[in-house]
Amino acid sequence: MKRRTLMSLMAGLSMSALLTAPALAADITVGMSWANYQEERWKIDESGLRAGLEEMGATLVTADAQSSNERQASDIDGLLARGVDALLIVAWDSEAVIPSVERALAEGIPVIAYERQIEYPGVFYVAFDPVEVGRIQARELVKVQPKGDYVIIKGSPTDQYAHYVLTGQKEIIDPLIDNGDIKIVGEQWTDGWVPDNAQKNMENILTAVNDKVDAVLASNDGTAGGVVAALSSVGLEGIPVSGQDGDIAALNRIALGSQTVTAWKDARELGRLGAKVAAALASGTAPEEIEGAVVWDKGPKGTAQNAAVLAPVTITRDNLDVVLDADWISKEDLCAGVTDNAPDACK
Amino acid sequence: MTTESLDPPAMNVAPRDSGFNVRTLSLVGLLFVIAVTFHLLSGGLFLTARNLYNIVVQTSVVAILACGMTIVIVTRNIDLSVGSVLGCVGMVIALLQIQIFPQEAAWNWPLTVVIGLALGALIGAWHGFWIAYLGVPSFVVTLGGLLIFRGAAFEVAQGKTLAPFDPIYRLFGGGIDGALGVGPSWMLFVVIMVLYGLGEILVHRRQTRLGFHSKARAKVLRFALVLVAAAAFVATMNSYLKPRSDIGRGVPIPALVLLSVVLFMEFVTRFTTFGRYIFAIGGNIDAARLNGIPTRRTVLVAFITMGVLCAIAAVVTTARLNAGTSSTGELLELSAIAAAVIGGASLSGGRGTIAGAVVGALIIQSLESGMVLIGASSSQRMVAIGLVLMAAVFADKYLSGEE
Amino acid sequence: METQTGKPLVEMRGVFKAFGGVHAVEDVDVTLHAGEVVAVLGHNGAGKSTLMKMLAGAYRRDAGSVHIDGKAAELASPAEAFELGIETIHQTLALADNLDATANLFLGREIAWRVGPFRIMDSARMRDVAAKVISQLNPRFTNLNTPCRDLSGGQRQTIAIARAIHFEAHVLIMDEPTAALGPHETAMVADLIRELKSKGIGIFLISHDIHDVFDLADRVVVMKNGQVVGTANTSDVSQDDVLGMIILGKCPEGAIPGPGARSNPQ
Ligand SMILES: Nc1ncnc2c1ncn2[C@@H]1O[C@H](COP(=O)(O)OP(=O)(O)O)[C@@H](O)[C@H]1O
Ligand SMILES: [Mg+2]
Repeated sequence: MKRRTLMSLMAGLSMSALLTAPALAADITVGMSWANYQEERWKIDESGLRAGLEEMGATLVTADAQSSNERQASDIDGLLARGVDALLIVAWDSEAVIPSVERALAEGIPVIAYERQIEYPGVFYVAFDPVEVGRIQARELVKVQPKGDYVIIKGSPTDQYAHYVLTGQKEIIDPLIDNGDIKIVGEQWTDGWVPDNAQKNMENILTAVNDKVDAVLASNDGTAGGVVAALSSVGLEGIPVSGQDGDIAALNRIALGSQTVTAWKDARELGRLGAKVAAALASGTAPEEIEGAVVWDKGPKGTAQNAAVLAPVTITRDNLDVVLDADWISKEDLCAGVTDNAPDACK
Repeated sequence: MTTESLDPPAMNVAPRDSGFNVRTLSLVGLLFVIAVTFHLLSGGLFLTARNLYNIVVQTSVVAILACGMTIVIVTRNIDLSVGSVLGCVGMVIALLQIQIFPQEAAWNWPLTVVIGLALGALIGAWHGFWIAYLGVPSFVVTLGGLLIFRGAAFEVAQGKTLAPFDPIYRLFGGGIDGALGVGPSWMLFVVIMVLYGLGEILVHRRQTRLGFHSKARAKVLRFALVLVAAAAFVATMNSYLKPRSDIGRGVPIPALVLLSVVLFMEFVTRFTTFGRYIFAIGGNIDAARLNGIPTRRTVLVAFITMGVLCAIAAVVTTARLNAGTSSTGELLELSAIAAAVIGGASLSGGRGTIAGAVVGALIIQSLESGMVLIGASSSQRMVAIGLVLMAAVFADKYLSGEE
Repeated sequence: METQTGKPLVEMRGVFKAFGGVHAVEDVDVTLHAGEVVAVLGHNGAGKSTLMKMLAGAYRRDAGSVHIDGKAAELASPAEAFELGIETIHQTLALADNLDATANLFLGREIAWRVGPFRIMDSARMRDVAAKVISQLNPRFTNLNTPCRDLSGGQRQTIAIARAIHFEAHVLIMDEPTAALGPHETAMVADLIRELKSKGIGIFLISHDIHDVFDLADRVVVMKNGQVVGTANTSDVSQDDVLGMIILGKCPEGAIPGPGARSNPQ
């Protein structure tokens, strides 16, 4: 329970409010249409979703579109035919899924876009706040390196998510750029989020600035891995680097001191949030009445939607115990290779 | 049987030895132009020991793949799966080395490399079997492979990133200690030049004995050029110092891996019957068959070679990143194909060179790196590389007088 | 009526080959003796090339037997035919256009040293041999390093012929060897055929030039729709008789009718 309290504190008001919301949802059936359940993380989401629903006495039915638009459309039809009271969707293609969404809404079934935004009026959006991810990254770097030369290794240019993260990063550092504390000496997108690409870009930026770099805003743990490899080949390992996802390799780097922060998204918590929202909407609560609901209009089309966003958890070397306590990573993996100057979690 | 009045007068020129390959030389010229241009645009950053060292390391993976892609393309096939196979083999190596085998065991990393190479060969054989024996077009088979092995790369560790690798294994990636050092680099230089010189003398002797006019002057000139270029290369790599020290790095290990691959592949394509057969198959597969060439087995071996090269590239990539990730190698097939094609491989088969493919890879990487140095975005880089690809193929067609 | 005595060099009996529903070759018997030139005649699509390709090991026959020098031969691959001394100048010439004359001459049968899994080619020796063989056929053909695509029809033909000579054929199949040649070169090929014949080589000659055929061949075998119309000594029939066999499938007197002969309503 210690973990729960700590998490809700860090996750912010919206989440703690939702977690304490009482719900009586017997006889409610919630449908979930996965885009590609093969990917490991969705199994973690599902465990939270199922637990949340079971606590409220509701049932969960799921379908897996296996990376196919057509299958997702027929999955959704199937779930509607089974008479679900609310429908969660992880969209394989957030545009192609819209006709199915329209059908569900026409039948009066509330639709919740889970983790991947479906930009359509009337769809409720539940996700980790990607902008907050960027803020967390920048905030932690600025804490340890308030001034100096920064490099930004952005995500995939074709992924809206990468743009959200960048928005958050800029929110924090733009004022510091304006007042001259921070200078951006290099900035590159990473095609396909591929770590090898991030590594090459970082190497070339290091050449361009002759190694004068004080901190690197990497957009996720994969690109952070590429950045750290590039830094280590010129002996700069150890300067502040950010990331997100709580990858095992990244958490280990945080323990070792070669990465500063990762924005961790505990998918189980998002599952629970999805359960709450689905149950509430299914039992007739108006979307804007849902506790913690905000209006989200940062999508590419600027559509205003009701949303409940979860703040990711900031993980630095000072609170690595959080991921250990959550059984996210074993102590052995976390502390592999850590010798001198071990963080508390490895002692 | 004689009516040809247009035949040039008799001149006994030795086989496969016109002195220089004009095409590859003009590509080297293009590379030089790119280098000088970026050097000027970036305010003197491009032609520095450090940047050249980086480019060599960054090029090695694509160049290794491009060598294999060249022989596949020469047989009039294509391999779209190389990026995925690289990713999949890399993940298997990472899983074995980091999670399954005992970390401290000395045999751990060598065994994972051997298993990786065997897996690469197996995957290549799988593709080759479908193509050569079941007659399914290589485009389709390897498009399937692209999907299958990217999926497999994910399944190996459920999409997790695996790190860190054994410190010795990491030397293959060329990181901070992954270079030969000054002394051994010069030794390597001397050994290679001596072997090269001896080889040329042997060939010259044999040709003279058989009564050919061996172009001795051209050969001496060529040897001298290679000598100077190699010395300049080694000196440059040696002058890039390790951080906060005055210790020169020397030839990076990935470059050594690439050099071995190139020498081997040059040997195979120029001097062995297998090399002759892949060209014959690409030129006219019916003729190859009618002359008793084992066409299926040859194509199978070409794909096995490609698979092994994917595995070698996987070792370099994962060692360099010091992590196995399921997205490693994504889209590399396109770079490898582009490098081979810029280097002179013809998608209609029967033509291509290993040296050309390596220069093609260097051109692509020089553009990539140079554009980052001048602060261009990744989208601008894509435009530039796309244009160079098209221009190179056009120039080739135009210069070689094809319609 | 076979004037030749002794064991035939080649004896094909009851040979069949179908491609899908097309019976390209149906129940064909032919023989060839040492030092004999047998012309195989017929319209396009009659099955001549298919029959010869079975002898060359390029196609596997569906049924029938082939004896070479009295010994049953499987002829499962071109390599096996080469070993039995059967060389072919294919209608298509079977040249790889991207390779030079030397490479094409030795294609599939390179002079090489075996080193481990590799066969390292002796390029200098092959070039040397190629220069000798080719200059024997055509002294002015010296651009041995030029890819075949840049050679003239006559030069390309020379390479294909040089193969047969260098590898010392006992049986030589010439599938329309003069189709791409001018009159002068055609005459050269005729001389060559006589020379090889005098050395005791058996030759199957496919040609559309009925003059040439009567000039060179000892016997003719006429095919139509995959079947043999008839076989005749050139001395026993006239050119018009042979044209009748080709066009009408009518077997004249002096010829031995085959399964494909049109039954004569007399
Ligand atoms: N490889 C093949 N596949 C399918 N049909 C073929 C093939 N080769 C020949 N044929 C068919 O067999 C018949 C005989 O062809 P061919 O032996 O080339 O005749 P010819 O040489 O007498 O002109 C033709 O109908 C031809 O279309
Ligand atoms: Mg024919």
